[in-house]
Amino acid sequence: MAAIAKRQRGKTLESEGLKEALVGFGFIALPIVSFLIFFIYPLGYAAYISFFDWGPLGRVANVGLGNYREAYHDFLFHKALKNTLLYTAVVVPSQMALGLTLAVTVNQALRFRTFFRAAFYFPAVAGSIAITAVATYILASDGLLNSAVGAIRGTPYTHSWFGESSTALWSIMGLNIWTTSGTMMLFYLASLQSIPTEVYEAAAIDGARTWRTFWRITFPLLKPGHFFVAVVSVIGSLQVFDQAFFVSGGGGGPNYSTMTIVLYLYNTAITGTRFGYAAAIGIILFAIIFTLTFVQRMLFGRAEVA
Amino acid sequence: MRKRLIVLSVPVVAIAAAILASTSQGKTTHPQAATAASGTVTLTGWSVGTTEEALLKQVIASFQRKYPKIKVKYDAIPNYDQAMLAKFSARKPPDVFYLNSEKASTWIADGLIAPLDKYISSTKFSTKPFYPRLLAAFKAKGHIYGFPKDWSPLGMEINLDLLQKAGAKAPTTWAQLRSVAQKLKPLMTGTAKPLCLSAEWQRALAFVYQNKGNVFTKGKPTFTSAAVRSAMNFYVQLQKDGLGDTPAKLGAGWCGEAIGKEKAAIAFEGNWAFPYLPDTFPSVRWKFYPLPKGKQKATLAFTVSYSTSPASKNKQAAWVLITYLTGKTGMKLWTSKGLALPARSDVKVNFPAPSRAPLLSEARYAHVWNWPAGWDKVWTVGNNELSAVMEGKESVSDMLSRIQSEAQSAK
Amino acid sequence: MTETTGERLPPVPAVVAAEQFAREGEVAVGTPPPEIPGRKGRLRRLIVYAILFCVALLFFIPFFWDVTTSLKTLPETAGFHLWPKHPSFKAYDNALTTFNFKRYFANSFFIATVVTLMNLFLSSLGGYAFARLRFPGREVLFFFVLATLMIPNELRLVPVFQMLTDMPLVHWHLIGTYQSYFIINLVGAANLFLMRQYFLTIPKDYEEAAKLDGAGYFKTYWRVMLPLAGPALAAVTILTFQGTWNDFFWPLIVFLGNEDIFTLPLGILKFKSEFNTQWPELMAASVIAILPITILYVFFQRYFVAGVTAAGVKG
Repeated sequence: MAAIAKRQRGKTLESEGLKEALVGFGFIALPIVSFLIFFIYPLGYAAYISFFDWGPLGRVANVGLGNYREAYHDFLFHKALKNTLLYTAVVVPSQMALGLTLAVTVNQALRFRTFFRAAFYFPAVAGSIAITAVATYILASDGLLNSAVGAIRGTPYTHSWFGESSTALWSIMGLNIWTTSGTMMLFYLASLQSIPTEVYEAAAIDGARTWRTFWRITFPLLKPGHFFVAVVSVIGSLQVFDQAFFVSGGGGGPNYSTMTIVLYLYNTAITGTRFGYAAAIGIILFAIIFTLTFVQRMLFGRAEVA
Repeated sequence: MRKRLIVLSVPVVAIAAAILASTSQGKTTHPQAATAASGTVTLTGWSVGTTEEALLKQVIASFQRKYPKIKVKYDAIPNYDQAMLAKFSARKPPDVFYLNSEKASTWIADGLIAPLDKYISSTKFSTKPFYPRLLAAFKAKGHIYGFPKDWSPLGMEINLDLLQKAGAKAPTTWAQLRSVAQKLKPLMTGTAKPLCLSAEWQRALAFVYQNKGNVFTKGKPTFTSAAVRSAMNFYVQLQKDGLGDTPAKLGAGWCGEAIGKEKAAIAFEGNWAFPYLPDTFPSVRWKFYPLPKGKQKATLAFTVSYSTSPASKNKQAAWVLITYLTGKTGMKLWTSKGLALPARSDVKVNFPAPSRAPLLSEARYAHVWNWPAGWDKVWTVGNNELSAVMEGKESVSDMLSRIQSEAQSAK
Repeated sequence: MTETTGERLPPVPAVVAAEQFAREGEVAVGTPPPEIPGRKGRLRRLIVYAILFCVALLFFIPFFWDVTTSLKTLPETAGFHLWPKHPSFKAYDNALTTFNFKRYFANSFFIATVVTLMNLFLSSLGGYAFARLRFPGREVLFFFVLATLMIPNELRLVPVFQMLTDMPLVHWHLIGTYQSYFIINLVGAANLFLMRQYFLTIPKDYEEAAKLDGAGYFKTYWRVMLPLAGPALAAVTILTFQGTWNDFFWPLIVFLGNEDIFTLPLGILKFKSEFNTQWPELMAASVIAILPITILYVFFQRYFVAGVTAAGVKG
């Protein structure tokens, strides 16, 4: 045993560093290659065609920055941008808060813990088709929610949640917060497991009560978890599409309220067959997401230990 | 070090081997015969539900009996447009596929659809029996790009029980539409209203045509013309006077559902209300009627053609399939259950109730929903603006100006 | 190796906790000790349980709705009825016979399992590298990995489809094969990210002890880090399996033309059409589709507790 240790200490730092670097590259090789081929190349492809008037069969004309200039003046794109940013600003903190609350709750030594965990994760498990179908049903103007409100109020309540521009986007927000809270709960649960019990014990000995323990000790220790959930949530929210499409039938209505960037991209590419302009929109979206993630990394990512 | 590399390489090699081993089993289509049409033909359409799919398979089976040398491979794809564009981009389109009249100009302009003229002349396929207005949707620059397989105009669906209770007859003019709605009004309870008014140009435009208006005249958009404005004012006024409302406000996803739930007595929808209404709301009694007349009779029509692409593999056999499916026998079989209306005037079908004669009678004055490339965005804006107007947030004039400016800059 | 390593490691907090709270049952790292019982504590607990049950019920309402709709007839689904008049399993019958349900189910299970296994291995290996190994450009490459999450599927569709119909250089035709799905889903960036975050929180003592024992990088990963990553691995398993199971965007595109390899979501979509959606059958198929993931989830979520305890006790 001592002989081995001696031999290891004898190795120079340099060759050790080189070996570590090579192994590091080796471990990430397959993921990186697959990302290069199926993500980065398509991104480059999109960047390239964004400078052209590009159709399904290829290049139609060279427009240089024309697509980007068009997006700058395009009021429909502006609406999509506004809706998407509003959506993200509301959904991200809500998802994080709800996910964390659920995770902390089911992390306690409660009875029926398994049942609660299953219940809270359930919306994430059901496929989006089923969930959206159920949601349109429950939120119809004569659906479950309004019937309940009407029963409580005494007078019938018939607001069409998805059908009125004042509430359409907010209803989608609510739906998605609820649906993905289970996934965020999972992330936070995994994160909570890395906190040693000694921490709680020490706090208990010091006389700290649960709420204090949570804020002063647990919450900060979850920093890597927060960073992860925040980044994933922002990235996902900025790309909201499915519900906007189902609810509005693709039109982004009523009154532009459910038009999101990806929905606009989809319409431009698939209905309008304007691949070049759609690519420009995609690149702009990518730039926005990239910037926001970078900012998050700078602000919060320093919890990392190299 | 060596051991580590070996362990590392195992899963990598395994994955690579799995991929390599089965690439040879990727599908290829049969090579087509040089002369007679034979081989495999791929037919692709969008998902239509299990009943229609079963019927189409029957038609295909009868085709195969007549042409045993041609094998048809049929796929129904959900999310059709996306999948088709991907296939077009990869130069691997199916041989025969659906072409929606709404998209026809765009896809033809993009070079995705093959002109059929040489096949028509060489096989002497007669184009006369097709309703001219339907066929015209698939013509561009004098060439024919597809043959309509079926169609439906917009008609009126009226709840017979409510009509009877109101002591009224089905309206045939704009004035009667208003008066019948007035008579129905006291019978409608809760959020229900006599008329269901979709906040969509795909319905409201019929009124514009009835008013002798046009949003696209001599190659230029004319949304702000007087005739268009007064027609749209008429439409919106119906809502303002409490004679009708949007489906969302009534409590339905679309006007067909509104009729079924009895949240409206009159709706403007087409043949697609069947079999939806009898299947989902079997207790409601209703019938088809032609749309009421404004200054003239007019309605909208929606149609789909079978087409092929320049990059399709087996164009010979594709043509044979197209001629069968849009020929007298094929179309008769396809439309026999009333799930779609025949696009040929020489196909007579005994439809199950309700009678389709009112719809078919509109063929002479139906305007197919078919627009120049780039107008998809115009209608997105149009529908959003119309929904704003029908939420009371905007005036009809403002809506029309905004749509006009959008249409003028359409690419 | 683990045995020798285990002897020299600082005692895993869980071991201490486990020994101390052995009588209380399942307590582990991460779970705060149970509250002290008492009258005030009991009332508070009752209220907490009541609230939790209500919330859990709210979360279950859609599932309840799915099930009741699947037992109704089509006309009944249109109105607002809480319970079908004559509940029948006819919709289940139809759902199972309209398309080759068993085949689609098996396909879904197959690809979900393969993708999950690939992800477990590659994301943990890569996550370890990003968290613990030093190599030039590590931060940049990690951001690069994150960047892949920022590209919407719709934007990638055409180039990826083009590559799968005719892969450059090797000319593989992969559309209509299982491989096409595997090759584009080798590993998810979110999983890599998750594993990295988790590895960052594991104390370095373990690796240093392994190093002293002469363990190489892969061995450290395999024998030391992986066993300690139970909760994260459980999360990756659940998320990847469920994500693949419910995925309809890519299967729709890459399985085109080969109905034999279709997955459940594609089958479920058959019941959906613009005007004639068959709600009972759609819900019946959805209910059946939900069951395997629910079982998987219930089974794996216990590893959110058992992970670190097991590793410590093994020593």
